[in-house]
Amino acid sequence: MEQYDKIIIGAGLYGLYSARVCGQRREKVLVLECDPTPFRRATYINQARVHQGYHYPRSISTAMKSAGYFERFNRDYDFCINREFDKIYATSARYSWSDGTQFKRFCAAAGIPCEELHPERFFKPGMCDGAFLTREYTYDAMLLKDYFLEKLNALKNVKILYGAAIRSIEKRNDVYAVCMEDGKEYRAGFVLNAAYAGINQILDMAGLEKFRIKYELCEIILCDAGEKLKQYGFTVMDGPFFSIMPFGKTGLHSLTSVTFTPHMTCYRETPAFPCQGKDGGTCSAFRLGNCNDCPGRPETAFPYMANLAGKYLRDEFTFVYRQSLFSVKPILMSSEIDDSRPTVIRTYSKDPTFVTVLSGKINTVYDLDEVL
Amino acid sequence: MENKEKNFVSAVIYVHNAEHRIASFLRMVIAVLEAHFEHSEIICVNDGSEDDSVGIIKKEAGMADAAVSISVVNMSGFHGLESAMNAGMDLAIGDFVFEFDRTAADFEPGEIMKVYDRALQGYDIVNAAPDKKEKFTSRLFYRVFDLFSDVSCKMHTESFRILSRRMINRIASMNRTIPYRKAVYASAGLKADTVLYRPTDRREAEMDRRERGYRSMLAADSLILFTQLGYRFSVAMTMLMMLISAFMIVYSVVIFATAHPVAGWTTTILFLSVAFFGIFGVLTIIIKYLQLLVNLVFRRTQYNFESVEKLTK
Repeated sequence: MEQYDKIIIGAGLYGLYSARVCGQRREKVLVLECDPTPFRRATYINQARVHQGYHYPRSISTAMKSAGYFERFNRDYDFCINREFDKIYATSARYSWSDGTQFKRFCAAAGIPCEELHPERFFKPGMCDGAFLTREYTYDAMLLKDYFLEKLNALKNVKILYGAAIRSIEKRNDVYAVCMEDGKEYRAGFVLNAAYAGINQILDMAGLEKFRIKYELCEIILCDAGEKLKQYGFTVMDGPFFSIMPFGKTGLHSLTSVTFTPHMTCYRETPAFPCQGKDGGTCSAFRLGNCNDCPGRPETAFPYMANLAGKYLRDEFTFVYRQSLFSVKPILMSSEIDDSRPTVIRTYSKDPTFVTVLSGKINTVYDLDEVL
Repeated sequence: MENKEKNFVSAVIYVHNAEHRIASFLRMVIAVLEAHFEHSEIICVNDGSEDDSVGIIKKEAGMADAAVSISVVNMSGFHGLESAMNAGMDLAIGDFVFEFDRTAADFEPGEIMKVYDRALQGYDIVNAAPDKKEKFTSRLFYRVFDLFSDVSCKMHTESFRILSRRMINRIASMNRTIPYRKAVYASAGLKADTVLYRPTDRREAEMDRRERGYRSMLAADSLILFTQLGYRFSVAMTMLMMLISAFMIVYSVVIFATAHPVAGWTTTILFLSVAFFGIFGVLTIIIKYLQLLVNLVFRRTQYNFESVEKLTK
């Protein structure tokens, strides 16, 4: 039995950020991660946007929150931010929930920069009714990981345990006891559940009320961008469209689409997918494996996404398939209508404290400060 | 095993109260697409169906192979064939897009690939029409249409067609709205062809009251929008009435000179004739103006070209 001040479940950005904040206060911290290294799932496998709110034209609250943290994140983690491209947001002429004028008005209301451009500079005639030069950056998760590992290594009071398989979490008087599959037991008066797609599984083990979420098995495609496309990032809004934009500082572009990025959807409390079982038994509704390393991962939807992007983008913007990244993404059921992505922090108990965080954005990590 | 086509095709299917036909039709389309294409999608446009069509589509989609992506567009209420198909077309991402206007499968599954192969030979639009005598009303409509429109297009009653992406882009930049696809496609000025097939089922497609009402409205709208029918008719009528007015002027003058009409008769008739002459003239000008306005509002581009050929250096 080992005793800690805080146990953090999940070594994504939210987990490691918390570990660092607490570690700097000389607290004794244990991070439990089931993968062999940090940042192997959602922190790495996403569009790598540092949001400034453009993405949420129907949720001004989400937009303003992201805009508020945008500057801070870029300042704090400057080394991993890619600013060297023009980010173009466009509104599709058809099937969009917002049009160009509404988007412009939204940007003005949220106080974020937005300069109107001629849509036919980038898009085929008649496809988009508005194109806007915006200010949005992407971050490089691998550089961010190296930074956090270096900082955490310097803190002797922070320990990260990889390959950690939790069996149960019990509340004993004033501590939570985390029991592992290998028989070990860790105790702390404070548990932070930052397991993202695994949060309900952790809540289940602790016997706490679960989040109402649905799960999507998502594919992010990495491509080599052609000469013309290199200096641009494109996002076509606001409906069943796509994004193609630089993926951190990797030199690659990420390609995603609203309809083809999610391969499978699960509405159960804990993530159950038909592909579980094709991986040799490491992944189940009880303990989610890493889709990206799984042999049972779905076939790529690149042809579909490429055709969708090709339908909109002018022919000179070319790209070639490089590889796919897969991960499971939890989406709060309450955010379906306004497409908002709130950062939800729930404190289940005090002394001992159990806190769960769920967020779909990287730069709202600072929200954690008030509970740590 | 033959190599599957690399081209991405989309199939847009019009669904309106088709619960009896949709299952077998969808199964046939899925089978053809799966067998011949590496990647494809099917978009079912549910145009205000009041039956269980969507439920059946969902069930069929659940059984399909992952190589075909299937989606449903639910229109908010009944829109009619043309708008509904435009909605489906706007969502389609294929390099080639099939449009199935009806879910009655009166053709062999092989016809679908015949039409596709024909498109590959350099046709931007290929129609598939049943090789049978058309309904009288349809024939009448197409005859009148052909007579009064400036583009010569032999239109038929068609069951489905394929469009190239080039064609779709051309249409998108040409018109603001597409009230009647066939006419817009015909006036797009790209190479078109029709493949006739022997129908396996000679019955007429069933239609409910709403669809029939919609079709007659559409026919009237199309004749006004795409043909010179209204203008030519009014010009002819004006000419006739002007002639009569002119005759009346001469006649009243002659009567005034030879017979002795009641006082005031000549002035009344003269005034009326001149007034009618003027009114008909003004009406023709107004109708011409209206037609110009329709063209300005409705058409975006001034001209369409089929191709540009460079002959010498």
